[in-house]
Amino acid sequence: MVEIVPRLLKDQLLKLAEKNDRIDGREQYQRRNVDLEVNVLTNAEGSAKVVWGGTIVYAGVKFEIRTPWPDRPTEGSLMCGAELRPVANLKYEPGPPSAESIELGRVVDRGIRESGCINMEELCIVPGEKVWGVMLDIHVMSDKGNIFDACALAGIAALKTAIVPAERFDVGDDHQLPVSKLPIMASYRKVGNRFVYDPCEEEELGGDERVHITLGDDGHVHSLQKGLKGTFSTSDFAEIFANANEQANELREMVEEKVN
Amino acid sequence: MGGYGDVELIAKDGKRLDGRLADELRPITIEVGVLPAARGSCRMTWGLNIAEVAVYGPMEAHPRKIQRPDRAVLDVRYNMAPFSTSDRIRPGYNRRSREISKVTAEALESIVMVEMFPRSKIRVEIEILCAEAGTRCCGITAAAVALADAGIPMKDMLVSVAAGKINDVVVLDLDKAEDNYGQADLPVGIMPNTEEIAFLQMDGDLSPEEFDLAMEYNMKAAKEIHKLQINALKSKYDGGVE
Repeated sequence: MVEIVPRLLKDQLLKLAEKNDRIDGREQYQRRNVDLEVNVLTNAEGSAKVVWGGTIVYAGVKFEIRTPWPDRPTEGSLMCGAELRPVANLKYEPGPPSAESIELGRVVDRGIRESGCINMEELCIVPGEKVWGVMLDIHVMSDKGNIFDACALAGIAALKTAIVPAERFDVGDDHQLPVSKLPIMASYRKVGNRFVYDPCEEEELGGDERVHITLGDDGHVHSLQKGLKGTFSTSDFAEIFANANEQANELREMVEEKVN
Repeated sequence: MGGYGDVELIAKDGKRLDGRLADELRPITIEVGVLPAARGSCRMTWGLNIAEVAVYGPMEAHPRKIQRPDRAVLDVRYNMAPFSTSDRIRPGYNRRSREISKVTAEALESIVMVEMFPRSKIRVEIEILCAEAGTRCCGITAAAVALADAGIPMKDMLVSVAAGKINDVVVLDLDKAEDNYGQADLPVGIMPNTEEIAFLQMDGDLSPEEFDLAMEYNMKAAKEIHKLQINALKSKYDGGVE
């Protein structure tokens, strides 16, 4: 994208921010419409589709049996990957995963992993010999802004619906993957002179730094990431942190309703 | 083709394992304009297969060495999502997806009026989200619809469909079990108005007579699927189905 467009867009966004307005008419902390569907992919052991405004993300869970790490003989593992394939937007090029793609996967992974929602000991089949490897893959199909929150939501919802295919691997009966918590991510973008929740495509193009917050059921924070150039004060952060809690609670209720 | 004919795939009454007759398609749905970030898009479900296709462009072709002074180039990628099959697929290109991308691009080049956009590139991104035999046909058929949705000028539609042989019987549209234990698979890409063939592959074992019957089934099915393609486009652009 030519430099000039974001520059003009930036000016426009700044003017809107001064009037407490956003380019798509939303309020500062208003979310776009979010729709979650689970069990949408027959070949995945757990799956979810999130339509978040114009952003569309699929997540699918697969399992493998592997030998545990020597220093953790009774623990299985979770691998979380998010791919920004060129299907998702004109701006993504084919080729090896970009830095943005890797950051996305790692930030989503940390939020889910650090919440402790999966007890790795429960993934042990034979100590020192066989454990389950859980592989969560997130596929972005359409990027119209805020893919981080959409990926995190699809990811945890897919895990929540996953069935461990023990019969197919001849190690017992199929059972639900135990997922005890529901970590939810909330992302903010500095647009004009303030942070907004759930940035759309234009706000990402003409905005500054971003902050991603993943919160657990008890309001504890499990992952933080600040991205791109820009700075903010501790009081700025306190404000969005408080808001993140509200957003996370609403989305968590939605997940709970859909998976049960 | 896996095992040769020793698995019972057709019952005594002539029906296949999923209850279809020899010349019957699996259920198909086609929807256009499903991916807001793309210029044109299509979602197709074909039996248990799910393909979603995004089209971007025409745009300037980069790197410059791929530019053609007299036409656009089609940059086509066929990709299976890691969770689309029973065993996870490692992300990234493999030999199979490269070959399918190549033959798909060549098939689509036969219908797109590439000479209208010199030095440019049209990107076609085919993502297979769920795979249950016949994904290349599903991808090509959906890609043609996505190109039309993007407003790219085309000479004709393109429908891809496969016929094959199971238990020595020629059948249309093999499913997973039939593909694994069948004796032949003949995927083709047909331009429904001219009945020309823009894409052709085959593996297995067919007699000339069996080949003719398989092609007859494919041709008939292509007309059926073409109607679904047109209806999907009409429901977006023409206020509904005729």
